[in-house]
Amino acid sequence: MISSCLRLTLVLASAGRLAAAGADFVETYDTIYNSLTVEKRGSIVELRARARGTYALESAIDLTDPLQLVVPYTRSLYAGLFFQPKPNRVLMIGLGGAGFHRLFTASYPESLLQTVELDPKVFELCRTRLAFQPTERTPVTVMDGRMFVKRDRQTWDWIILDAFRGGFVPPHLKTEEFYRECAARLGDKGVFVTNLHATSQLYYSDLKTLQAVFPQVVLFETAGRGNVIACAVKYKEPVMTDPKNWPATSELLRPLFVDRLDLDVIRREHVAIPDLPRSARVMTDDFSPVEFLDTVKTNNTGTR
Amino acid sequence: MLFAFYSVVVTLGILSMGFQLLASRLLNPHFGSSIIVWAWLISTFLAAFSIGSVVGGWISNLDPAPRRRGQIAGVLVAVGSLAITALFGRALLAQIEIAIPEVSTALLVSCLGLFFLPVTALSTFGPQCVQFLAARGTPPGKASGIVYGVSTLGNIGGVMLTAFLFIPNFRVSTLLYIWLGVAIVSLAALIRLLRVPSSS
Repeated sequence: MISSCLRLTLVLASAGRLAAAGADFVETYDTIYNSLTVEKRGSIVELRARARGTYALESAIDLTDPLQLVVPYTRSLYAGLFFQPKPNRVLMIGLGGAGFHRLFTASYPESLLQTVELDPKVFELCRTRLAFQPTERTPVTVMDGRMFVKRDRQTWDWIILDAFRGGFVPPHLKTEEFYRECAARLGDKGVFVTNLHATSQLYYSDLKTLQAVFPQVVLFETAGRGNVIACAVKYKEPVMTDPKNWPATSELLRPLFVDRLDLDVIRREHVAIPDLPRSARVMTDDFSPVEFLDTVKTNNTGTR
Repeated sequence: MLFAFYSVVVTLGILSMGFQLLASRLLNPHFGSSIIVWAWLISTFLAAFSIGSVVGGWISNLDPAPRRRGQIAGVLVAVGSLAITALFGRALLAQIEIAIPEVSTALLVSCLGLFFLPVTALSTFGPQCVQFLAARGTPPGKASGIVYGVSTLGNIGGVMLTAFLFIPNFRVSTLLYIWLGVAIVSLAALIRLLRVPSSS
């Protein structure tokens, strides 16, 4: 009872502090995996995760136009189109506020977008606060992402990995073995898309690990946010590291992309893979010090 | 002799709780890192501490000859089960994961099969260490406090060393072999210490 009162006091104190910053409403939730804040400013609803003293923006939705990709890196996820222009079957690991989902499902109404989310509260908040309604074309399974991939027997055109736990990265979703499990579930022309943070030594190990599994890895850096979207394929030919081999933007354009998603901008986000330090090691199930590599910051995020 | 005794008590504490972090790293690729995994893992270790303490208390009150056999059995179970975990842990987990689709059941089998026995066997030596001190004139309550206090310091050391030094620098498989080696050496030392008559 005392702890409940204390917790309520802390929640209210937190809510009051954020409300003073101009939010229409602020709700704080301590879930079994995350400490989350849902914050509404005007028509924008943000889902934030408290980690390391900050409120990291996980997802945001504009309720007046839910198709808008409010968080910049969710636009960069569409770089997958350059590698597999027909995303008929997409598996996304990590739901967040479903910021990516709305434009995708509206633009590809016949496609299946299966999402796996570990935290049931995130799924609940996504439905009740961020106005996401799953359908039979956008099912959500509450489960560990790796467990889902291991038990899954389907083939996917895209697999998107965007799983964080309050800003931290689950180590078992960063290993060579897991990437091989994902590659096994990709179609021959499928693409693996993953959201990386280029701000720590973990980035270098991430890239080495991806390269250990996928013959071709292409990077897209979201401006100013530290997010790098890696697109990886399991074939060697054609050479997809050369943008000349990507489909023309006009071939990929969908009517709903207008004023929401500029694929030419995404194309320009392409950056070369940086020189990787020899000290960076491939992460495996047997050796995956993700938490520690993620604390060693770097300003050298690659060749630009 | 007391320095050696306390060193072994600390070492066994390090082994027990450090093993819990290694166990989590073993389980994660197969069953994820959800709260379900941690619930089964923590419960398994607490059950092992509990049953190990009861069995150890029972062994410590046996006559010298059966007590000796109980101690040797404890060492053999601890070393043998640690060796199975180190040598075959990943392969067994892969089989369990396929054979048992239901996650909680699979975790129960995994935790019982790979982690319960070594921790139970290591825990049997706690009460015997209390008996060791009590037989040398330390009042039983004080002996119990000292042993469990020192052992818990070892537990803390095990968690911190494993989290901040071992896992960032070594493979989990390498660490399991190190755990096995350290267990063999420290249990051999302890069993020798426990054999020393109280009058010496």
